[in-house]
Amino acid sequence: MPDRFISRGFVGKPRPADQAGRLPPGQYLTDGFPVLSAGPTPHISLDRWTFTLEGLVKNKVTWTWAEFLKLPAQRFVVDISCVTKWTKLDTQWEGISVDTLLKQVDLDPKAQFVVAFSHEGYTTNLPLSEVVNGQAFVAYRYDGQPLPPEHGGPARLVVPHLYFWKSAKWVAGLRFVERDQPGFWVSAGYHDHGDPWKEERYSSR
Amino acid sequence: MKPSLDWQIATVRAVRSETPKVKTFTLSLPAWTPHRAGQHYDVRLTAPDGYQTQRSYSIASEPERTGEIDLTIERIETGEVSPYFHDVIVPGDQVEVRGPIGGYFVWQASRPEPLLLVAGGSGVVPLMSMLRHRAAARATGPARLLYSSRTLEDIIYYGELSALQDGQASLGVYHTLTRAQPAAWKGYTRRIDQPMLAEVVRPLGRSAQAYVCGPTLLVESAADALVRLGLNRAQIRTERFGPTNLAQGG
Amino acid sequence: MEDLQPDLSRTLRLDANAVAGLLREAFGTEMTATPIECAHCGNRAEVGTLLAYCHGPGVVLRCSGCEQIVVRIVQTPEFYDLDARGAVALRLNRLEH
Repeated sequence: MPDRFISRGFVGKPRPADQAGRLPPGQYLTDGFPVLSAGPTPHISLDRWTFTLEGLVKNKVTWTWAEFLKLPAQRFVVDISCVTKWTKLDTQWEGISVDTLLKQVDLDPKAQFVVAFSHEGYTTNLPLSEVVNGQAFVAYRYDGQPLPPEHGGPARLVVPHLYFWKSAKWVAGLRFVERDQPGFWVSAGYHDHGDPWKEERYSSR
Repeated sequence: MKPSLDWQIATVRAVRSETPKVKTFTLSLPAWTPHRAGQHYDVRLTAPDGYQTQRSYSIASEPERTGEIDLTIERIETGEVSPYFHDVIVPGDQVEVRGPIGGYFVWQASRPEPLLLVAGGSGVVPLMSMLRHRAAARATGPARLLYSSRTLEDIIYYGELSALQDGQASLGVYHTLTRAQPAAWKGYTRRIDQPMLAEVVRPLGRSAQAYVCGPTLLVESAADALVRLGLNRAQIRTERFGPTNLAQGG
Repeated sequence: MEDLQPDLSRTLRLDANAVAGLLREAFGTEMTATPIECAHCGNRAEVGTLLAYCHGPGVVLRCSGCEQIVVRIVQTPEFYDLDARGAVALRLNRLEH
């Protein structure tokens, strides 16, 4: 097989040496925060925004923006990795842990999976076990500012231990279900689980 | 059906500065095939560790020039590929390309309709291919280019556009400079808007075929204005280049 | 929330022409001049007119009329995953003209 052609003198974007093993395989560090979009940015006014927990719960719960902000919030500093190969270290967010949200509902024991749905029809699917115990939060502030719409504001899901397409932007709620339901990018060929440390980028069919 | 698109290794024959931020690279292609004005080539760069990245660049040259193509590339400060072209590439270097690509944003001189070309910045590149092809084919139907740049020194192909206009009564070239104008400037001095387009397109009439290329927002506002001026969407072809300030690519 | 800044996603969008190479690889023929009908609003236009959002994990092509998703393409090392349920009809050219 012929050797691949190498472009003389090309090294690509600066890729600093792996910082103490914080970079998952195949990823590059970025200083910026790339905007990934599959469509126009929705603009959701705060007086119409809601967040709902539904599905296999005994009581469906919906919060308005004002009510949501009254829930106990936390600061999070996490590394995030996108399947398009950039990783950003030490991103700073403020929001509400999914554990806090779950305290407000009575979850049916049949609930094994979560579908995070957005105001735009975008969905991501996750096992329930991956969004509890501090692994996921609903963020409304990034880097000390209100989360901008192009990054998913007013609020988005953040699940830092999985590829960032799982962190649904413009999140409108979580639906608890019994069986896994492939979300937007999974149904298009991405890996159902999406662990960057195992490079679970694409589905193997 | 044409055989599937293959990558080929092109050789850089010449590098020419067009403006302080824009250069033209002449590439000779071992498997050159005639393109249509408006098409592009994809360029792929590979680093020694296997990292690859790819960009599309419009062909600036006319298909009548055989065996080689010109790619006119603007250097984007935060980009990855354009700085490589500007800062590293010298004649003799090789570049992986594939093409020609594109069946929608193309113009052939055999088309009878009056031609309107609207360009913002480096969006002029595929339109220049059309004008060069038009000249080589000795087409004489009416054609007009409205070209928006920031300053006089940012105008790509300024001299050649003047010469083309001088040589053909049927071609009109209209410049607008949005940021700064030299003394005694006779062209437009603002962003492209509907009244400006109305003046430029009026003599071409309602059957004009329009090609609009440049930053996405400029392209969309110009295309919308042309619709309001009476052209059908089908008469307007667009090629959006993305944001003016390419923070994510280039 | 009234956002007064220009919509960044809108400045990033392109025409499907920008992914003409990918479409050609996936379909084996030049696609941008192919007529396509949007399943949501019935708009008929060439593939090249679709609005292309390319900065995500995959390419999303939206109807320039109603902006709903017409085609999604994900490219992996082994295959192209195509979701064209937003398109009613797609014609592949047999002869290069």
